[in-house]
Amino acid sequence: MAAPTLKVSRGWSGLALGVRIAVLRLPGLTQVRWSRYGPEYQDPQIDKEYYRKPLAQLTEEETYERELRKTQVIKAAPATKTSSVFEDPVISKFTNMMMKGGNKILARSLMTQTLEAVKRKQFEKYHAASAEEQATIERNPYTIFHQALKNCEPVIGLVPILKGGHFYQVPVPLAERRRRFLAMKWMITECREKKPRRMLMPEKLSQELLEAFCNRGPVIKRKHDMHKMAEANRALAHYRWW
Amino acid sequence: MAGHAPCSAPLPGSLADPAPICAGAVCRPCPIALRPAPPAPNMAAPSVSCGAAVPYRLFLAGRVSFAREQGLWKAAASGLQTGTRCQILRLKHSPAVTTKKNVAALRRESYTVDFIKKQIEEFNIGKRHLANMMGEDPETFTQEDVDRAITYLFPSGLFEKRARPIMKHPEEIFPKQRAVQWGEDGRPFHFLFYTGKQSYYSLMHEAYGKVLHAEERQDQLRAKGLFSEKSKSKDPIGSRWLIKEELEEMLVEKLSDQDYAQFIRLLERLSALPCDAAEEEFVGRFRRTVTVQSKKHLIEPLQYDEQGMAFSTGQGKRKTANAEAVVYGHGSGKIEINGVDYLLYFPVTQDREQLMFPFHFLDRLGKHDVTCTVSGGGRSSQAGAIRLAMSRALCSFITEDEVEWMRQAGLLTTDPRVRERKKPGQEGARRKFTWKKR
Repeated sequence: MAAPTLKVSRGWSGLALGVRIAVLRLPGLTQVRWSRYGPEYQDPQIDKEYYRKPLAQLTEEETYERELRKTQVIKAAPATKTSSVFEDPVISKFTNMMMKGGNKILARSLMTQTLEAVKRKQFEKYHAASAEEQATIERNPYTIFHQALKNCEPVIGLVPILKGGHFYQVPVPLAERRRRFLAMKWMITECREKKPRRMLMPEKLSQELLEAFCNRGPVIKRKHDMHKMAEANRALAHYRWW
Repeated sequence: MAGHAPCSAPLPGSLADPAPICAGAVCRPCPIALRPAPPAPNMAAPSVSCGAAVPYRLFLAGRVSFAREQGLWKAAASGLQTGTRCQILRLKHSPAVTTKKNVAALRRESYTVDFIKKQIEEFNIGKRHLANMMGEDPETFTQEDVDRAITYLFPSGLFEKRARPIMKHPEEIFPKQRAVQWGEDGRPFHFLFYTGKQSYYSLMHEAYGKVLHAEERQDQLRAKGLFSEKSKSKDPIGSRWLIKEELEEMLVEKLSDQDYAQFIRLLERLSALPCDAAEEEFVGRFRRTVTVQSKKHLIEPLQYDEQGMAFSTGQGKRKTANAEAVVYGHGSGKIEINGVDYLLYFPVTQDREQLMFPFHFLDRLGKHDVTCTVSGGGRSSQAGAIRLAMSRALCSFITEDEVEWMRQAGLLTTDPRVRERKKPGQEGARRKFTWKKR
């Protein structure tokens, strides 16, 4: 029977189906990190196309997953997520990182102004260029944004490890989400610190994004510096145990 | 405990007394338990002055001396007759208990089979009395009626639901215990007693026997050529296996994770073979149904106004904002909030995106008109409340599948997150005061 063996391979999913397992509660210890949702609540699936897919095209795994989700309680969709085509998770994350003091309105307006500035600059270049160059100029601000951040992502990072009373900088491969985070963080700190006094954030940020898109600029340099330091500390790589 | 008031032996006719009220300090586990856990036999609890309270004796073997009992009974009876305000129609006998520390609470309490049987009898009689009191038919008095009657007769302001008065079947109150496993000669009854987990191993033995039997049958069918590789028509998601805690409760034995895993593996092996009705029933004993969440929603039917236009209302909440939305069947996508157009009411794009979300998700963007009222909260919570209200109202216009999709997209769940309170000794809900070394 296919379905029970699938369940076995998932490791006693008797636990997953509608059974609330109480989180370990020891007397005298209060939970600090807790959420208003119980542990059985699953994250919502907002993508429209996931639901519109006809049943005939689903694989066995997907059918099983669909059936399983029918028995699960789902959390409410957050206020920042919609099924809109204009929504981009990378842009949302970047906006949140730019936000200061919870001022999402300002952060979002800065983001839209940045993308507009990128688009304007590219269009100026496009109109000023000859026919064969026009084919190479990228005008979509979203592709430029994604490519720029991808170019800024470091491949390897340094982690301080305590050994023999000293902290050594050990080169360590970074997880995907850490790389994305570092790229965004470097971009934002670079724009905030090295900005000329009267220049506004959208202008500076669009400038940096375009430079990163072409693999130039201070953020790319910082990434290369990180790689060089990791290369320099190669000898310490065996300090890593994971 | 000194000052313990024993009562007289129950007379057969006294069970039919209309209002037997017990006096003073009597302590015995009643079917109507005022405390959540079954009390230790040595503890004293004030009795319930209610018609259906049927306290009775608790015999502790070897602790009672009859002469002392008689003396105490006489003394207490005279005291009761003079001093008490309650009408004593039946006094119960209870053993004299000397003052001693409640050492028994440290050990697990063990209840004899007779004791439990008596409890069950008393519970049933008490249920009938309760039905009489409430003016209902004792024959058709269900457990829900009992619970309702108890909440009516003993209103409790306690927040902890488990601390409130309950009247449940003794099987639910007293923990399941195993009867004595060996006879008078010391020889155990069960042949697997010396394994230490006799119920578990006998269950495994039984299940394995069934597996062998089913495999034999399968081989016979194969030999005859009648065997077909048909898949089971059992619903894969509608039920689940017992979890380890439930199995432990069923067998009244402690199991390890490996034992449980082994057992489930055996059951899966059995269910994969062609089974007859007895084996299906055996497997069915270890499966529990899983609720399908979408069935819990009640979808309101469409209403129609004077012009014949279909509409539906929905209510939504988010933090402290409350919204009520009326979605009309035909329209051009106009949304009016508190009499104001949505573009003016929500100047921020994010809030308007939230309003658009349910319609865009169902591909019904320009097809409905909405009128809503909202109060409380801030701009984001008002937007969230209206989104929830609109989604709920839209449920009446769409198919059941689409309702399930909306539920899985998180559109039909009330967001339970609210502002966390500030705690004393801290600056905010989580932020602590600046730590100063000195």
